[in-house]
Amino acid sequence: MSKKVLVIGGGDGGTIFANRLMRKVPGEVEVEVIDKSDLHWYQPGFLFVAVGEADKEDITKQRRRLYREGIRFTQAEVTEIDLDDRRVKLANGEDRVYDYLVIATGSTLYYDEIPGFREAVNHMWTFDDAKKLFEELMRFKGGRLVVGVGGLTYKCPVAPLEIAFLADEFLRVRGVREETEIKYISPLERPYPPRLLSKVMVENMEERGIEPVTYFTVDEIDPERREVRSMEGDSLKYDLLILTPPHRGADVIIRSGIGDDEGWIPVDKYFLNIKGYDDAFSVGDATALPTPKTGVVAHFQASTVADNIAYEIKGESKRVMFDGQSFCLIEMGRGVASAQVSSYFYKDAPGLIPSRVLHLAKLAMNRIYWTCILSGNI
Amino acid sequence: MTDVEPTISIDARGISCPGPLTNLIKAYRKAKNGDVIEVLATDPGFKSDVKAWIERTGNELISVTEEGGVIRALIRVTAK
Repeated sequence: MSKKVLVIGGGDGGTIFANRLMRKVPGEVEVEVIDKSDLHWYQPGFLFVAVGEADKEDITKQRRRLYREGIRFTQAEVTEIDLDDRRVKLANGEDRVYDYLVIATGSTLYYDEIPGFREAVNHMWTFDDAKKLFEELMRFKGGRLVVGVGGLTYKCPVAPLEIAFLADEFLRVRGVREETEIKYISPLERPYPPRLLSKVMVENMEERGIEPVTYFTVDEIDPERREVRSMEGDSLKYDLLILTPPHRGADVIIRSGIGDDEGWIPVDKYFLNIKGYDDAFSVGDATALPTPKTGVVAHFQASTVADNIAYEIKGESKRVMFDGQSFCLIEMGRGVASAQVSSYFYKDAPGLIPSRVLHLAKLAMNRIYWTCILSGNI
Repeated sequence: MTDVEPTISIDARGISCPGPLTNLIKAYRKAKNGDVIEVLATDPGFKSDVKAWIERTGNELISVTEEGGVIRALIRVTAK
């Protein structure tokens, strides 16, 4: 009898998991993916939308087109998850039961943590916001640009640096960079925390005239006075403000009482089962693991869980472990990119010197994502 | 050793940079003056990071100790 596998969330993690499991044990599982939207976004593409180099058709596909044959996609909102009863409730009144559950509900933006954030800040963490940021950058006539880390935790650790570099390039091309002062703010000790690559990033910031401002934890923003204030007691005036919004887990996780106080799900760091359960897993941003919240981490986690469920269904004792690995290409503008690797086992994450080849790799990734990555083949 | 009892505890053992400091900052956002935050970490850089953070923020570092590879920092929130 086939096993009923339920996947909540059809982003990177949920899609890769479903496709990989179906590839490994076709005919032995019934896989259903539930998501409230039928549209899958390639989220790293938002960075390029913000500087006018990509649009909606480049970074979206209909979800139901992304799944292997046999996988059922249901467009619905999940309202409650009961891990003890192995039951999931949907907003349309239906219930689902499962043999295995994978929660891949990602992260949500939580503006309310910082007063003034919603009114004042531009960002590119959604398509609409990325489009709006592009329009702001087009309109910008020079002045004070403050860019960087707004709240902790946030998706994609390198994204604020990437938009700082790309904004610098964009404003140069538009001919208003000379009239623009760029400050990069971060609550941490370095603008780019991993020590080995930090030096390279700071050198590039200096070369481009981007001033790092560290230990600046955004406390509140005054949109009237165009001023951002820190918990450390400093303040900066701005004419354009680009910051990462604070994130937290999905509402359904908080409502169902299975996350921590920010809604992140506690899971075993190697096997990714939700602590206390052997039939429920979580992958990607939704987890409370200290790994970067990026698609590549979701990818490796989803593969680990899919392989282990497949082994279990086949009655094999073999298991694989997630080792915390991550690999990130860092777009730096001017036709170059850098790269960062990390895992549970690195004391300090190594990085690669910026190069044209890595920039081309980043562009290639934007394409192969749809074919090689989401299919669960690699 | 110190006999000050923490009011907020953060276990950041096994988390590499910038995890321990990130968790401290997140706790600090919610803390009130008078709270004592305890951070346990194994990232060797945390020792210098927390001292630099204290210097920058003006809070009080009660103690930083290390035993068996685990760094324990006790911070009294005074600058909010």
